Amino acid sequence: MMTKSKGYTRHGLLVLSVVILTTLISSSVSAQDRYSEESGLSGICFLAPIFLLTIFGLVWAILYPTMLLWAFLFSGKKLDNMILNTAERESQIFSQLGKDPLSTVDGGYRKDVNKAGIVWSGAVYGPSHWHLLIAWINNLFGGSVDIFQKVISAGRAESMQRLRETAIREGWDEVINVRIDTAVMSPGTNKKGIRAVEVFAYGTGIKYG
Amino acid sequence: MNINLSAISMVNIVQGIMVVNTETIPGKVITDTYGVVSGSTVRAKHVGKDILQGLKNIVGGELRAYTNLLEESRQEAMSRLVSDAMARGANAVVNVRFATSAVTPGAAELFAYGTAVKVE
Repeated sequence: MMTKSKGYTRHGLLVLSVVILTTLISSSVSAQDRYSEESGLSGICFLAPIFLLTIFGLVWAILYPTMLLWAFLFSGKKLDNMILNTAERESQIFSQLGKDPLSTVDGGYRKDVNKAGIVWSGAVYGPSHWHLLIAWINNLFGGSVDIFQKVISAGRAESMQRLRETAIREGWDEVINVRIDTAVMSPGTNKKGIRAVEVFAYGTGIKYG
Repeated sequence: MNINLSAISMVNIVQGIMVVNTETIPGKVITDTYGVVSGSTVRAKHVGKDILQGLKNIVGGELRAYTNLLEESRQEAMSRLVSDAMARGANAVVNVRFATSAVTPGAAELFAYGTAVKVE
């Protein structure tokens, strides 16, 4: 923990020193410019940050519509594929064990338990910006916002499937008292930032014997 | 799409301590309680990953770096809870609950709490 906080301080100092240096250089350059008109290098120094920002803005202006178009074309299909993939793995496990290893009952209905421990898994799923646009239009008319329901249920199914896989990998026979939680990745008041939902499933793995 | 996010297995975190989220441990009897034990952590990914995940968010789908982040933070919170329970001399923690809050975008505050008990 100590090393980490030291690291943060070091990063902060680095950023601060860069900012101070840039300010000093640009201010000295602008001070020089008043006296000497023909200083090409210092002019570049002064304009370099602005050029960089311009380039970044141009790249973003091209990249964002391209990605939105990509999302419009393929994100629905990708979501369907994810749901299918999860369902396929789920049915594999069902046929392997003969039943669902998860249950929400609390406590033992069987007394021959020799080991118990917590099992969890999670998945962070987000709708694409195209889906957000559709949801916004849906929101104007009211009623059910189906696209969000689809994304979140895909995340939930994936999270539960991972819980089954984790339980089997760690050698539990069954998972009881399963709870499913959702948490947003960024605060709701924040307009920008990541729009994603974390679905988190946990339960108690038990081993009979 | 087989995901093995956890390099550390739960077996390594819980050193001989039974951590369950049921009220009792099936087949065992609780003889003594030691109060509420808890562990919490706030973690974030570095800014490069944040930017990449922001780009991934445009096209939708799973954000692996954040799944990973939450997995790591849960393990850290859980290991703190277990060390708290060990310091009190308990041999099991029952009724474990998790709580999450989003402090800023891209950072997760994880809180795990439960009751430290002695079982036989």
